[in-house]
Amino acid sequence: MNQPASSPSGVADEYEEIHQAFEQIKQKYRADLGEKDVRYIKKIRRNSRIFEVIGRGLIHVLPGPFALIGVPFLFLHRNLEAIEIGHNVLHGQYDSFDEIPQFHAKNFRWKAPVDEVSWRQEHNAVHHVHTNVYEKDPDLNHGFLRVNDQVPHTKLHYFQVPIYLFLFYPFMLYNFNAQNLGVVDKFRKKYFPEGNKGYAVVDESLRVSKAEGMKRHKRAVRRVWAKEYFVFPLLALLTGFGAIKVFLANLLADVMNSYWIALTIQATHFTEPLQPEDAIKNKGKWYISQLDSSVNFKGNRWQSILWGHLNYQVEHHLFPDIPAHRYPDMAIDVQAVCKQYNLPYKSNPTWRAAIKKFVGAMWTYSFKNPDVPAKTAFLDSSAFVDKEAVNAK
Amino acid sequence: MLNKLLNIVHPWLIKTLGRDRLEYVASNTINELTQRLDPFIWTYDCKVKVIAIRQETADTKTFVLLPNQHFTAAIAGQHIELSSIGPDHSANRCYTLSEITAETVSITVKLNPEGEVSPWLHHQAEVGMIFNSSLARGKFVHRDQDKVLFICAGSGITPAFSMINDLLAQSNNAKKSSDSKIGLFYRTQTPENTIFSKRLTELESENRNVKVELSYSRLPVDIVTPSFIDQLMSAYPDIKQQHVYLCGPELFRNDVIQYLESVDFDLDNLDVEQFTLPVISSPQESGEISTLEGDVSVTLKSQNINFVIPASDCDKTLLEAAEEQGIVMEHGCRSGMCGSCKTNLVSGEVSGNKIGRSIYPCTAFPASNEIILE
Repeated sequence: MNQPASSPSGVADEYEEIHQAFEQIKQKYRADLGEKDVRYIKKIRRNSRIFEVIGRGLIHVLPGPFALIGVPFLFLHRNLEAIEIGHNVLHGQYDSFDEIPQFHAKNFRWKAPVDEVSWRQEHNAVHHVHTNVYEKDPDLNHGFLRVNDQVPHTKLHYFQVPIYLFLFYPFMLYNFNAQNLGVVDKFRKKYFPEGNKGYAVVDESLRVSKAEGMKRHKRAVRRVWAKEYFVFPLLALLTGFGAIKVFLANLLADVMNSYWIALTIQATHFTEPLQPEDAIKNKGKWYISQLDSSVNFKGNRWQSILWGHLNYQVEHHLFPDIPAHRYPDMAIDVQAVCKQYNLPYKSNPTWRAAIKKFVGAMWTYSFKNPDVPAKTAFLDSSAFVDKEAVNAK
Repeated sequence: MLNKLLNIVHPWLIKTLGRDRLEYVASNTINELTQRLDPFIWTYDCKVKVIAIRQETADTKTFVLLPNQHFTAAIAGQHIELSSIGPDHSANRCYTLSEITAETVSITVKLNPEGEVSPWLHHQAEVGMIFNSSLARGKFVHRDQDKVLFICAGSGITPAFSMINDLLAQSNNAKKSSDSKIGLFYRTQTPENTIFSKRLTELESENRNVKVELSYSRLPVDIVTPSFIDQLMSAYPDIKQQHVYLCGPELFRNDVIQYLESVDFDLDNLDVEQFTLPVISSPQESGEISTLEGDVSVTLKSQNINFVIPASDCDKTLLEAAEEQGIVMEHGCRSGMCGSCKTNLVSGEVSGNKIGRSIYPCTAFPASNEIILE
């Protein structure tokens, strides 16, 4: 800490110190991995199954609109499987436990219409590495979204709020695939005057052939459709209950699932500043850029499970492959480090506030030149270097 | 009852659905119940099922195996490693595939009365049994040369037999009036224990471009036999124009190589399978991990890739070392933060970034001479 403030090595040392501080938290929780985590994920799976049986059972037997009583249960099942289990498992959070091969990233199959292989690439290896980096982070502007003034404006953007809220979010999970398999790149290339400028495109080396992409897309979607819109309605028909009722109830649960996930994940990044591209080259800087590009929203432990612990987005981005149910505990350690080094730790008081904020950002940037101050990345701001100077004095 | 039914259902499933579609269905329907119902299809492991057993000679049996959907196409000449076999289900053995069809692979096993696994296979294994298996591997495969000569002895016939069949199938498919030539020089003990003897004669009579020469080491004393090298010489005088694949016991191999050298054979045209070497060679005794010497062999099970990290590259991370060899491994940040490259260690040792057997190739280093990753 007592390095001369003016020398660049002073800042470099501080980065290293910050890296070590977060590394220590990571090691602490890594060392504690064990039986507890195995029990946890098994318990979530068991509950998901129970919800599924109750939900499908009620939808199956209750007449007409009463079947709606079963929808929330089915939604709970779909939701737990999609994020608290699916998202976290595909991060490899449970890979180190031999006894649960069903929760290893490479074995796991989603009950969501998303292809696992391309999602792991896009999400783990790109989004989590280059979070909020202009033209690098595919999640920053899902589809054609414009949430900063660097992205070229097109007429479509005037309508981005209603398009997203009413057309995209109800089918959010289906849209993921289009992005991961490169379909959206082609759309922008064709219809936007400046093509993919301002957007992250699927890396050439990761791009799959059209036939392979189509095959994966169909397979990811059909497994869900076969179950939700064919097998269970058919089962109802064969046993003398209403097939259309089951179809509609399942559709409702599907849409709720997509909408819930959209509102959860969209609220956690794109309201925050863009990050420098080279942050990944220095581990300390990378940790800072993750802190600066992510924002939490508060909720109790039960709610957090339904959000797949993605409301602890800051912790998730610092430690993407530590089991997510540890994040509430880790948050305490992370906040302490942030306080010590005067680093940003962002949190919205409620989910509602977070949603309001991100829909606000979508609205703001649907206009070509919104009159709002530009957001500067913490790493680029003077705050960090200045603090060095202050320390030295 | 159920098992008998499954013995019929499994080949049918793999034949009609194909492995790719079966994998799609099975992986999306696997759970505790289905796993118990049929552990051959609903499993995360590559498994093979014995669907037929054939007696080849008095002490040799061929086992026709049906691999499940995790298996990928095998190339003639490659081998598989069966694990958890033997009387106490703890042995691992490699077997060359003697025959490969679209759905099945076969291994041909000679009984070694003193051995542990081959007596077990010969006497205990029966149709319907399921073994864990590796994917097919090995580089002792033909590369479509026009003129090839297989020189083999004993059970070294197995890779040659599958390659000859494969070459013939290829030229039949292409329907080209090729001038390709396939020669086989096969040394065994007696006509009675010559593996595939009947089928080899058939091959020779059905295909004009195949020439088979058998050589026996234990004929009755009153028949004068020339040395097998003399026999090889007179049977294939144009050996220098051929590409030679050599497979058999060490002494046999040495004799052949000596002969090839003596006639100025271009050794670039020689492939040798070190067939009789012990398969499991773990040079590591516990402890001395830090002083790693020599090349490191790395296997990526799921991609079925094997590569060697030269000793000079052992200070590089596994990811870098693999890329150096032109191998693509899943990765993200290259600094151990994002977890994209995380994979599990099946055997061997690595140092650096790891949690138990889960390792991060981007920030982990080889620490044993043989490493197998999931």
